[in-house]
Amino acid sequence: MEESEGFKRNSNVDSPKSPTVLPWDRFSNWLHCACVVTFDLELGQAMELIYPSHVHLTEKEKMNICYLSFPDSNSGCMGDTQFHFRIRQCPGWRQMVRSQLQFSRDYPVQLQSDSAYYYGFVYFRQTKDRSIRRGYFQKSVLLVSKLPFISLFSQLVSIIAPEYFENGEPSLEAACHDIDQWPPPIPGESLSLPIFGEVIQVRIPTRSDKLVGQPVSKVEDQATVPAQHIVPSLFEVDIFSAFQTVLPHVQMLWELVLACEPLVVMAALPTVASTTVQALISLISPLQYCTDYRPYFTIHDSEFKEYTTKTQAPPPVILGVTNPFFAKTLQHWPHIVRIGEMLGDAEASKSFNKIKKSSALKTLDSKPGVYTRYKPFLVKDKSILKRLIKGIQSKRPVEAQNAIMRRYFLELTHSFMIPLERYMASLMPLQRNISPHKGPPRLRPFDPEEFLKSVEHSGPQLTSGIKGDWEGLYRRFFRSQNFEGWYQHRQYEVNQKLEVLHMEALCQANLMDWIQDKEEVEIVDLIMRIQDKLNFAANNQHSISEESIQKLECHLRSVVSSLPADLQSVLKI
Amino acid sequence: MSRMSAGRTVISQHIPSNRVINQFPKPFRADCTPHKEIDFHPKVKNACSENRIGRVGLRICKAVLVGDVSVGKTALVNRFCHEVFEKDYKATIGVDFEVEKFSVLACPFTLQIWDTAGQERFKCIAASYYRGANVVIVVFDLSDESSITNLVRWMDDACENADQPIKFIVGSKKDLVSQAAYSQVESRVKMIANNLGAEYWAVSSKTGENVQEFFFRAVSLTFDAAVLSEVDTALAPRATQIGTIKVEQKDLYESRKRKISLQKCCNH
Repeated sequence: MEESEGFKRNSNVDSPKSPTVLPWDRFSNWLHCACVVTFDLELGQAMELIYPSHVHLTEKEKMNICYLSFPDSNSGCMGDTQFHFRIRQCPGWRQMVRSQLQFSRDYPVQLQSDSAYYYGFVYFRQTKDRSIRRGYFQKSVLLVSKLPFISLFSQLVSIIAPEYFENGEPSLEAACHDIDQWPPPIPGESLSLPIFGEVIQVRIPTRSDKLVGQPVSKVEDQATVPAQHIVPSLFEVDIFSAFQTVLPHVQMLWELVLACEPLVVMAALPTVASTTVQALISLISPLQYCTDYRPYFTIHDSEFKEYTTKTQAPPPVILGVTNPFFAKTLQHWPHIVRIGEMLGDAEASKSFNKIKKSSALKTLDSKPGVYTRYKPFLVKDKSILKRLIKGIQSKRPVEAQNAIMRRYFLELTHSFMIPLERYMASLMPLQRNISPHKGPPRLRPFDPEEFLKSVEHSGPQLTSGIKGDWEGLYRRFFRSQNFEGWYQHRQYEVNQKLEVLHMEALCQANLMDWIQDKEEVEIVDLIMRIQDKLNFAANNQHSISEESIQKLECHLRSVVSSLPADLQSVLKI
Repeated sequence: MSRMSAGRTVISQHIPSNRVINQFPKPFRADCTPHKEIDFHPKVKNACSENRIGRVGLRICKAVLVGDVSVGKTALVNRFCHEVFEKDYKATIGVDFEVEKFSVLACPFTLQIWDTAGQERFKCIAASYYRGANVVIVVFDLSDESSITNLVRWMDDACENADQPIKFIVGSKKDLVSQAAYSQVESRVKMIANNLGAEYWAVSSKTGENVQEFFFRAVSLTFDAAVLSEVDTALAPRATQIGTIKVEQKDLYESRKRKISLQKCCNH
């Protein structure tokens, strides 16, 4: 039944013909704008076109977009190159997209994007053209969005850009109009997204999804509309190919990402840099990476100075770079990942390399590898490496290698997080301590030492075969922003839940009985507590039933009416 | 309906009653159609009653509407899909997209409708929208001479990129022309249609005359052709089948989780 309602909503109520939907409303559920950036001989990179034209970008944002839309170094990006970047939004113009507000809480954490950032999906074309003075045609088409739907938007720009290079502006106009007909990205729905005579079919994941394997089967079952393009995932990147040249070190990289260590990825091409950074972020899924990351970062970026300064310790961010200049600028960074070209199957297993001391990194040394002095806390699990290498030798499809790798790190992250989740649950007050006549109970504070004691008997060893200093890794993690982000999120969720439980307790309670022998001041106190709850309910409509709200309002009226008339008028209810 | 398997019924439940086709619709003019059959092909009927239509229900059926500016392409689609008619003209930018689900002989069937812009400005991108179309519908204005002249060019352009499509020529705004004027136009357009191997229809989106009949006819002919080709090549899988990506379904985390039985908030 759900599907039919969804379909109805898409085809009628929320259709582009509906008078309540304005032009570009639906477009802005997905994208902020589409841009064309060109190389002008006098000006350098220049914004040629922004569509829709009413969209606001500050001068600083435009400048960042222009520089990030072109390869940063004189690398041989002939032909077509695709990559993505992430930039800060200028303060003051941060408006949440409608779809984000509505759906964000139901997305998996990786999609709960920070509204302070834009993502840019670039398609750059460079071809010889004698008719141009410089001898080259150099232009980028890019899509700007607040949503980190990496694989969907990468695919989308690869459909739109070639059409634009072929046919010019009307194709961009038509593409944006197509997107303006897309249904909103409601978590859990399988959507059919028309673009240039084709349909992209994608399922929007939800928090309640099983973590591996579900999305694909869902697409098959529902069969809403037959599609030419099925995007198997909205945001997952090809992590296996990204890490192929540093495969033996991926488990260490997992630790570094988990602990929010400053990390720079150096690659020859922006495609490789951006995919690798995205792959790093996704290693700790379903945990959210809570500090900044830049899949593609250039010397022109407005945060260049802030991030490369030598007067302070390197910031806890992950950067993807291609300009050789960074080898010098970021020499003092503790962890550097050099990624070679993405290799064919045969070469890959030969090219594995030892970890290099970071001091060994010279400007000219560009061999792939991880340059760090970091000593991993956990013992390297050789079985996964063996499995992946076997896969390379037997020419196992990349999708399967990806699935194996993704599941492996998902389990590793879970093994690490389950004890924390369990400890967190133990901090909850007991149900019987929730009283309608007191304030809502609070969560006990997180005590790292108490937690670490529990790890001895019920730590990650229950779910993971990996040996090593788990305790040390936890201590490191507690100092990271990832822990802080996770803890705040959990705290928020639990407190919300406690509020709801407390409210239910208040609904159930027989308040008229209770106020019989109470002083006026206590009754007024109760009234204020009920009003607080109603305010909370108004701000969190999704988690509270209409019935509870009505019950509370009814309580409020009867309690108030029990008071003397003069007091009632003071309370002004 | 009772003969259908459980899996099939689930899908069919969502089809509204005005999208159910059980009778093979007749052409508008028997002397102006290349499709002379008077019923669904026996093989198709058999396949449907035995519920072995394979993946037709999941197959792409793509219809494109083309024709001069303001002949009423969007009005035709809106009348059929939304049962509305707007007097005011609003030019289509690029292409509008609609999806309609049908039940044909109790089998689910989906039609994508790509309603293209008639403006010259969008001509350059049209080819990509025509790609792989199963139905080409050229619309012209019964009250506008010049839109008739362009019929052939539209049909040729669209068919160049389509996939051996079923062709229609649809005269719109029937309510605006007198009977006499209509007869003149019809005899002329019938010749063009026959030359192009297209079926001819005359409709009014304003009054709704023939609109549903036309779409039902288009859907039935497409369905018949699709199922027939599916039945004929049942043993040889077609390249057009939707590709699926297999991912291992076993979830180690899930099974482990059960063992550990993660405590949930407030379960004490």
